[in-house]
Amino acid sequence: MVADWPILSLIVFSPLIGIAVLLCMPGHRSNWLRTTAVAASLVPLALALWLYAEYDPAAGGAAYEERMTWISVPLNKEAFGSVASFRMEFQYHLGIDGLSLPLVLLTAVVAVMAALASVHIKKRWKAFYLWFLLLETGMLGVFLARDIILFFVFFELTLIPMFFLIGIWGLFNREKAANKFLLYNGLGSAIMLVAFVILIATAGFSAEQQADNRTFDVVYSGSYEALHHNLNDPQSYANQPGGGSGADNPYRLTDGMRTALFVLLLIAFGIKLPIFPFHTWMLRVHAEAPPSIVMIHSGVLLKIGAYGLIRLGVFLFPEQAQQWAVALAALGVVNMLYGAVLAFVQTEFRLVLAYSSVSHMGIVLLGIASLNEIGLQGAVFQLVSHGLISALLFLIVGSLYERTGTTRLPELGGLARPLPFMSGLLLAAGLASLGLPGLSGFIGEFLALLGLFETQKALAALAVLGVIMAAVYVLRSVLGITYGPLNEQHAALPDARLIEAVPMIALMALIVLLGVYPSLVTDTLQQSFGPLLDTFIVREGG
Amino acid sequence: MQSIASYAWLVPLFPFVAFAVLLAFGRGFRTSGIVVGSAGSAASLIMSLLVLAERLGTNADDYNAGFEWIAIGEFTLRMGFEVTNLTTLMLVVVSLVSFLVNIFSAGYMRDDERITVFYAYVALFVSAMLALVLADNLLTFYFFWELVGVCSFLLIGFWYAKPEAKKAAKKAFVVTRIGDAGLLIGILLLFWHMPNRSLAFTDISNLFGQPGMADSGMTTLIALLLFLGAVGKSGQFPLHVWLPDAMEGPTPISALIHAATMVAAGVFLVARTYDIFLASPAAMDTVAFIGAFTALFAATIAVAQNDIKRILAYSTVSQLGYMMIALGLGSLAGGIFHLFTHAFFKALLFLGAGSVIHAVHTQDIREMGGLGARMKLTAWTFAIGALALAGIPPLSGFWSKDAILTAALAGHPALFAVGLLTALFTAFYMARLFFLVFAGKPKTGARAHESPAVMTVPLVLLAVPAIAAGFVEMPWNGWLGEWLTGTAEETHGGSLAFVASTAVGLLGIYLGWAVYAKGSIRRDAVSSRMPWLLRALERKYYIDEAYQRVAVRPLLALGRGLQAVDDYVVEGIVRFAGWSAIAFGRAGIRLQNGQAQTYGLTAVIGLLVLAALFVGRRFW
Repeated sequence: MVADWPILSLIVFSPLIGIAVLLCMPGHRSNWLRTTAVAASLVPLALALWLYAEYDPAAGGAAYEERMTWISVPLNKEAFGSVASFRMEFQYHLGIDGLSLPLVLLTAVVAVMAALASVHIKKRWKAFYLWFLLLETGMLGVFLARDIILFFVFFELTLIPMFFLIGIWGLFNREKAANKFLLYNGLGSAIMLVAFVILIATAGFSAEQQADNRTFDVVYSGSYEALHHNLNDPQSYANQPGGGSGADNPYRLTDGMRTALFVLLLIAFGIKLPIFPFHTWMLRVHAEAPPSIVMIHSGVLLKIGAYGLIRLGVFLFPEQAQQWAVALAALGVVNMLYGAVLAFVQTEFRLVLAYSSVSHMGIVLLGIASLNEIGLQGAVFQLVSHGLISALLFLIVGSLYERTGTTRLPELGGLARPLPFMSGLLLAAGLASLGLPGLSGFIGEFLALLGLFETQKALAALAVLGVIMAAVYVLRSVLGITYGPLNEQHAALPDARLIEAVPMIALMALIVLLGVYPSLVTDTLQQSFGPLLDTFIVREGG
Repeated sequence: MQSIASYAWLVPLFPFVAFAVLLAFGRGFRTSGIVVGSAGSAASLIMSLLVLAERLGTNADDYNAGFEWIAIGEFTLRMGFEVTNLTTLMLVVVSLVSFLVNIFSAGYMRDDERITVFYAYVALFVSAMLALVLADNLLTFYFFWELVGVCSFLLIGFWYAKPEAKKAAKKAFVVTRIGDAGLLIGILLLFWHMPNRSLAFTDISNLFGQPGMADSGMTTLIALLLFLGAVGKSGQFPLHVWLPDAMEGPTPISALIHAATMVAAGVFLVARTYDIFLASPAAMDTVAFIGAFTALFAATIAVAQNDIKRILAYSTVSQLGYMMIALGLGSLAGGIFHLFTHAFFKALLFLGAGSVIHAVHTQDIREMGGLGARMKLTAWTFAIGALALAGIPPLSGFWSKDAILTAALAGHPALFAVGLLTALFTAFYMARLFFLVFAGKPKTGARAHESPAVMTVPLVLLAVPAIAAGFVEMPWNGWLGEWLTGTAEETHGGSLAFVASTAVGLLGIYLGWAVYAKGSIRRDAVSSRMPWLLRALERKYYIDEAYQRVAVRPLLALGRGLQAVDDYVVEGIVRFAGWSAIAFGRAGIRLQNGQAQTYGLTAVIGLLVLAALFVGRRFW
């Protein structure tokens, strides 16, 4: 019976039920509101877990597809030949595959943990949780959408809640940070939209047979399927040199055009990821947003950039991705080393973590740039792993800040004495972040580098320098906080309470679990890159 | 009947269970923590001995088992273990020393309030170290290689409130990680180099064992990268700098991790991937010469140090160099033999030093003296360890050092000379250490007394193999070498090496006695004539200072420079973009001033521009 439910829609929209309940509650009852929000975020987690248990990588996600015509606009274009009519149609189309599933699970997990961590929020709880749940719907939708317009809508849906969550509940410079966030991401969205519109107007067509079997309708849409088919199937009309009437084929995308689109998408998602030099906005967010929101931001939102780059950049434009592979790897190395060196000189722990995210997203780029299955799986694994690790780190940052009132490194030290539990977990999370085997960070890093070593040995070897640097900056900052002489005014700080300890232990357990049993993610990914890699083999063979 | 070897995975599992128990329930433990930790390593020891008994009794085949860890496309990454004679030997060494160190720590760490944490870390280390030894492929090996590294880091920084401990822990992690990065690159290259994409040691051995199969440039590169990992872990020059600082950790840890087991893992790594090295003469030479340089270099530094643990640490560095010499000369058995004997006598020396430190609460040998009378058992066992290290027959160290010198004499006279010189320095600094600590008149340690039995019994138990472990391989009876490699190495007839090494050992001891006990040679006999030499030795040849100059400070400067780039250039462009949008808007506002004249003017200018463009195109 459960199998008949529209499970994907339920996952995406179940946080909205929470919103409905929240709206009926009095705004001063912070405990009620928080409990409701946690409960509401548990629903998509439970559903996603159920989906994970059910999902058969070999069969793919076809059984779960949900598709409905959402917007249909007839186009005022004259019929010619066997074409009866033109129309534009956008579908509400959700789907799941090995690439989306781990990220959906990650989102659901991080959301629950962040909801628990929001215990430190001090004001306007009701509005906070409303935005929070709306944000969760947006994130889940991004990973499940199978139509670029729907993707775009969900993508934008994450921006507005984030804007308010940073701007209202952040630290001192919160409004500036929120503005910067919105400007940059708005710019990214604009660039993305340009690319999407061009895609829909050219390769976005599909032919729909009429009832009489002789004429057909031309339907413009943003469906991934149609785009993928038209861009990558040599038989498709979009890849024929000339139109039937001898004029230029309007559906055809030349190589130059494809490269331009690929670069537009690279910039749009590069801002989100972020790729150097588009990273400065996320530093502000890391430094100013409330820690539970940074958990979401660093844990999930950055991953949307990588997801978009894989799903729309690499899947739709494999040839361009191959041409740009060296550039992608170079960008990855720059990200990795630039972020690592800068993380080393920060005096504010949040900024250490922000630059560390820049560095770790470099690893994702490296995995993508390898364009082989090991590397791509490594990139996805790194996304999941970094999501969990940075969520844990900011969870601890939130609890630390609550106690010490600062996360500036010169003002901290020796906290292992008053806070043994939190310090131990901070160290463990730091070790995970620097890629210690047995913890999840190692797997992503190892697979991404292993993949890259097949195709681009020199850049891959250079990237290994980042692995050394990670040890340097992680230990400098984490030991700076936990080891050494204790600042006397911190001598009596209380260690983590139960409500703080539970999400910390849960995240750490997941990090260990993925570190020792990585097949949980890699088996799901099994079939995800097959078609993509087939196109490479065909190209190389031909 | 299933062989015992097929249950060898239990060996690392026992201490891991101990670790898990201590982690989960350790908060209220004190004595129970000691019991749990020691029981874990005792179980490992028993299991290892059973495996050894089986392999000694029959000519058992190597046992190998594992599972698919990650499967991606057509590739699989495996986790597995393998029981060979080499791994069995290492299992016994590691679990025996671990067990004795666990017992010793019950006394040494008795008053520390975090003793349960200590036992938890030790249990994790023992587990990881045993798993490293058992690993059947390089990925599994690397996995546990990093884990032992992190345990070492945690234990060096065990007294975390001390700034020196914090610094030393960080240094150990970062410096070894430089080596690990090399090892990682080596593994990644090797993966794509192997025709069957397997990292199993047997496959590596099969591939590189065939003459002409391996492409030599790549082979050398991979061998050198693997060796870089070994250089980091085994404290070889130039990555030795972390090991002496690691002495900030509790002394039992220095005995276990930084003398007997983990630091020998680099030697073990070279031995485990030996066929790659054998396939590349250049790599073999590198191993031998780095080892020789390190051996002599560290031995000279040890002469001028005053911290009892640091002397032993430099000695460890030096002896690990010795093992590398053997490996580089093609004598696998010699290197492993020295690893085997060194584990016992160096662990003995460190635990003895721990017993001394426990009694006098200082590590400066200039503040000690006359302890021989008060701590008889410690002094006697320490003397055994020191004589073994100095290479005096018939103690264990003599035989293994002799095996290496014999190989050097046959292989490379220069290496033989360096080896002998190192042996001289070794005997001298051990004599200096021994006489300053145990002979002469008591100084600050007036109230010093012998340590409790829980600490002295492990000393006695370690003294036994420190004396006798050498008998497994003697010039006229190469049992160990044959058991390890399957073929007897032709190293006989080295009577020159035999005599020479004994002679330099005795000479070194005599000099040490003459300078530091009898006083017939003035202590500043050398340093008064060459004060710069003493200073250079005391400052450890300024290597730390050099790293500070060429690595740490440039990195900081680079970081600050990039910070400026990030703040002003990257941010600046962003600000400029924002500002230009505003400026454009302002300009637009000025145009929209509501005056018909302005609009008219704009229209005329626009028309002129368009006309110019239109006309211009014709002449283009």
